[in-house]
Amino acid sequence: ALEERLSRRRTAQEARSLLRCRRAGILAPAVYFVDYVTNSIYLEDIVDSVTVQDHINSLQQSGDDTSLLTLAEKMGELLARMHDEDLIHGDLTTSNILLRPPTEKLDLVLIDFGLSFVSGLPEDKGVDLYVLEKAFLSIHPDTETMFKALLKTYAATSKKSGPVIKRLDEVRLRGRKRSMIG
Amino acid sequence: MAVRHPLELFPGCTVTLLLFNCVKNAAALRKRAMEGSIEGALINPAMIVDPFQILVAANKAVHLHKIGKMKTRTLYAEIIFSLSPNNNISDAFKKFGISDNDTAVLIVLVADREKTLNVEDVASQVEGQQVSLDELPQLTDTAKVKKMYKITPQEEKIGTLLDSIVCRMSTKDVL
Repeated sequence: ALEERLSRRRTAQEARSLLRCRRAGILAPAVYFVDYVTNSIYLEDIVDSVTVQDHINSLQQSGDDTSLLTLAEKMGELLARMHDEDLIHGDLTTSNILLRPPTEKLDLVLIDFGLSFVSGLPEDKGVDLYVLEKAFLSIHPDTETMFKALLKTYAATSKKSGPVIKRLDEVRLRGRKRSMIG
Repeated sequence: MAVRHPLELFPGCTVTLLLFNCVKNAAALRKRAMEGSIEGALINPAMIVDPFQILVAANKAVHLHKIGKMKTRTLYAEIIFSLSPNNNISDAFKKFGISDNDTAVLIVLVADREKTLNVEDVASQVEGQQVSLDELPQLTDTAKVKKMYKITPQEEKIGTLLDSIVCRMSTKDVL
C-alpha cells in the first residue's frame, strides 16, 4: 500500500511538472493520459529526437567546438527558465534532455520528471545543477569549458541566479549533495 | 461521413464522431440528452479543435468507467466532463455540451464488443445536415477555446493548441 501511494504521488508530480513546463513555454512532451491504476503516463513521442548526450558525443567526434558552446548556452538558458518557474527537475543528465528535429535548431525538450518537485529554494536549484554537472563531467570528457558556458548563460538568464550559483559553489565544496535524489 | 476511431488502450472499443450543421432542434436534443434518452454525447463543436481532443476525453471516460471511478453518472456525461480543464461538472456541461440555440452539434458514440451501435437511430433524431468531420475546423471558435483552456502566450510558441488542450484535460485531476 505504501508502494502504491509513493508510485501514485510520483506519477502525479510528474504530470504536474509536465503541465507546469508547458504553461511556461518550456518544451516537454505533451501528456495524453494519466493512468492512476498502473501509475503510467502516456506521453507525446518526440519523433526522431536525439538525446543531448548523443549529440554532444557526435559534435565532439567531429571537433565542432562552436556548436558545443552554443548548445551549452541553450542548455543554460533552458535550465534558468525552468528554475525561474521554481521547477526542480531532480534528475538532470544529458540523456534527459532531447533535441527535436531539425537538430540544428537546438530546440531542447526536457523529459523524465519522475523525481521533480516545486521549490523556490536556491539550495534545491543549486543541487539540481550540481547533479547535472556531475553527470556531465563524468559522461563527457573535457567539457569543463562547455559547462562553464552553460552556467554563465544560466546566470545571465535567470533573475534569481545569484544565490543559486553561490549554493552550487558551496555544494561542490561539500563534495556531496545534501538532498537525496536518484 | 461518420468517422470511427478505435481506442488503442481498449481493444474492441470504438469511438464514432458525427457532425451536424444547420441544426434546428438543438433544444429538443439537449432535453433528450439530459433525460438520457439519446445514446451519445452531444458536444458543442465550437469548443473542439481536433477529433483527437474527443478521443482523449473518450479514452479517459472509458478508463474511469471500467474502474468505476467516473465523476459523473454516465459514460457520455463523463466524456463531456473530461473535455473540461477544470473539475466543475455543471460548468463542463454548460461550456462543452450543446445549448438550445446552437446550430451545430457534434455527437460522440462509444461502442465496445458487447454493444453494437445504431448510428442511424441517433442521426435520425437530429433535424439538421450531417457533414464531414473535415468541416470541424470551420466551426471551431479558437478565441473561445483559448480563453476556456487559459492558454498562455508562451505556450503557443512551443506547441499546437491541441497539445495544450490535451495536457490540461489529462492532468486536471492532480491540479
